[in-house]
Amino acid sequence: MPTKSCQRYEILQIDLSRPLEPLTVPPNACGVAFVIRADDRPVAYFMEALPAGTTIEPEALASKILEHAGKQILADRIFKELRGPLDASRFPRLDIAICTHNRPETLARCLSSLRDVGARWESGRTRVLVIDNAPSDNRTEEVVRNFAGVVYVREPKPGLDFARNRALAECTGDLLAFLDDDVVVDRCWLTGLQEAWAANPDAGAFTGPILPFELETKAQIVFEQMGGFGKSFERVRFGARLPESPTYPCGAGIFGAGANMVFSRAALERLGGFDEALDTGAPLPGGGDLDIFYRIVLAGYPLVRESNLVVYHQHRREYKQLRHQMWTWGLGTMAYLVKCWRQNPAERASIRCWTVWWLCYQLSKISIPHLRKSGGRWPIDMVIAELAGAVVGICGQYDRSVARIARLRRRFA
Amino acid sequence: MTTHNGEQRWQAVSLDLSRGVPELSCEPGYDGMRVVFFWKRIPLGHCQLASAQLPLDRSQVAAVAAQSISTAAGDYIFEDGFRSALPGSPPPAIEDPVATLEALLSVERPIARLAMNLPVVGPKPRQRLTVAVCTHERPQELERCLTSIVASAEPPDEILVIDNAPQTNDTYDVVARFPSVRYCYEPQPGLSAARNSAMAAAHCELIAFTDDDVVVHPDWTARLRRCFEDPTVMVVTGLVLPAELETQAQQIFENDFHFFHQGYRRRYFDADYLTAARRRSAPVWEIGAGANMAIRRRAFDLGYRFDTRLGPGVFGGCGEDSEFWYQILVDGWSCLYEPSGCVFHYHRRDVPALRNVVTQYMRGHVAALIIQFRKYGHFANLRRLVWELPAEYIILFLRSITCGFPLGRRIMLRGWFGSFSGLRAAFFRGRSEIPAE
Repeated sequence: MPTKSCQRYEILQIDLSRPLEPLTVPPNACGVAFVIRADDRPVAYFMEALPAGTTIEPEALASKILEHAGKQILADRIFKELRGPLDASRFPRLDIAICTHNRPETLARCLSSLRDVGARWESGRTRVLVIDNAPSDNRTEEVVRNFAGVVYVREPKPGLDFARNRALAECTGDLLAFLDDDVVVDRCWLTGLQEAWAANPDAGAFTGPILPFELETKAQIVFEQMGGFGKSFERVRFGARLPESPTYPCGAGIFGAGANMVFSRAALERLGGFDEALDTGAPLPGGGDLDIFYRIVLAGYPLVRESNLVVYHQHRREYKQLRHQMWTWGLGTMAYLVKCWRQNPAERASIRCWTVWWLCYQLSKISIPHLRKSGGRWPIDMVIAELAGAVVGICGQYDRSVARIARLRRRFA
Repeated sequence: MTTHNGEQRWQAVSLDLSRGVPELSCEPGYDGMRVVFFWKRIPLGHCQLASAQLPLDRSQVAAVAAQSISTAAGDYIFEDGFRSALPGSPPPAIEDPVATLEALLSVERPIARLAMNLPVVGPKPRQRLTVAVCTHERPQELERCLTSIVASAEPPDEILVIDNAPQTNDTYDVVARFPSVRYCYEPQPGLSAARNSAMAAAHCELIAFTDDDVVVHPDWTARLRRCFEDPTVMVVTGLVLPAELETQAQQIFENDFHFFHQGYRRRYFDADYLTAARRRSAPVWEIGAGANMAIRRRAFDLGYRFDTRLGPGVFGGCGEDSEFWYQILVDGWSCLYEPSGCVFHYHRRDVPALRNVVTQYMRGHVAALIIQFRKYGHFANLRRLVWELPAEYIILFLRSITCGFPLGRRIMLRGWFGSFSGLRAAFFRGRSEIPAE
């Protein structure tokens, strides 16, 4: 078990264009998380528990970087060389939608990170929308007023997917990006998207790695140690089938997560937008992103996981919040699976296989090898929360949610 | 797009990136393609693309290729940092990580650098090369194989066909059509006996073996011949790629059982490898495959022989090659796995034949473990037999219970019976005994 003092990890950005220097773990930290950048692009993320005051020599650091990032650095350069120069002049119009609910401070942070990357961007072809979802006051509107050019839209029906569909209705660009209000985009986010689109103009969706914004509390560290969001830096272009994967595409977690996703507007409109019964606030707060990824690939659109499309997400700070989040993940995942099961009888074999895999994966989190890897914290309460959520999700939560949003629609009609 | 019996057809494609990055699309009638990426005729990696992921334009192919070849390309470009781990061992430590990282970052254009660093086929070495093909009643396959050998960029100095316990004259007739090929007759049945007689009959210092169900790469002979500079290297093995993936049996053999494929990076095995892995059994069967190996004739002169109690046609479908490598390693010689010398193997097309092959492989594997233990008293072989192998089967069985019993797993689990019959090797008496099939 961690000691009382072990409450934060230092996040270090290592830029490989500069020579490596010895690093010292700060006195108030119990570990370090590394974000490695090569050619200014993020190429790897890894974390390690280290006692405060430890010095990491360049030799040790270099061998860790080679282990985690070596292959990707080389693959990136080979890709650039084989691909040749890129014509980025014909990037389509982009709308970036941030759906928010009563979090003006984090929203302001997200907007300023976008302004910073937008400054390097030709203006006029990129638009930022803030979808204020069922706000209880005017604070969000006031924050948005400080950012010139940001469009404010109010969506009264409470529910994330109501807000997302509102963004789709308001969208005028060819691409529609969704960011959570608690993320900050990396400085290469827009260029990454531009390059990914230039290579895959036919893609229905783009996703990218979601790294931690801070690791200041036990809950945030535990969340990352349990795997966090997807952090694969491998470029993959997914299709409706993936060879050698019996659980594909129903295990939609490999695609990415809703905090960082970009869609082609035409694809979203053809699919009829997001399923509003998922991601609807307290009763069923999850699964909407998995559902849309799944439908995108099943409809035959390529889904591109792009390594340069990086955001930093502020995880839940309180342990109780984290436990609740795990509960919602279990709930959302299973509600999404119930929906898939009903609507795609042809995919049932992969759904069954994936459900079993998911259960084994949850149990593996409390197995001894996993403990050894994650530094010894036993997240049994987290696993129980997720499994409990899953049980509720299987037992009719999707139907209850469908009935509930029908009432909501009537009320706001 | 499945054929009438619901079976998938995959296309096995070789793509040389040095001739430019093409667009990829699936030919009609195929469910996907397995692409092996080459650079200047050296294999660097592969990927599988389902027809649902195709077509791909040039930059998309570049992205897939970059992910598939980066490790092998790194191994060719850099001194360190991308070395392959040996089977059963952790990845090798990097000697000077700071310099290695600097070297990695200094290469802005890795492909241009790769073109400079790839091993070139230099002047012909002094040692001469015999290619020996051991065959048993497969005249059509043999003809295809001999045609590819004769067409090598650097034809071997001698080509032998060992006709193993023939029942007809078909093999002789095929060989008669190739004036440069010498016919040898070996009455004793079994691949081991045939290989031993090939080594006895060969006139050259190096003997490259391949099977009759193989087509060799044009550079195969040239690449293998240049791997014997180090005098301690007695055996060189190479990469075996699938020649076709037309049937489900072939796809299962390639994707589910990694009997042949040992990666795209060079590996060096010496006596230390065996001792380092002494506690756990050293997976010598992962050094390569008998379908693609070359042996220094000196090994034969020193008395090394393929165990005639093992191998196809006698007892089990494999094991004689890995048991030979085991003898070599125990005595302090070394083996090299060199992927640039590659051949294309036609896997069994139908499921019953595949099932038989897997059962025979397991039988030969178990028999080889027992013989190695009896010969050298290395307990690691016993450990593999009573602990690692059963554990693998139990894990396979549990995984099957949770995720179903697809055909590949069913075949693998049936192989278990093969391993039981392999236990008979414990009762072999002398080396001269020829166990009944």
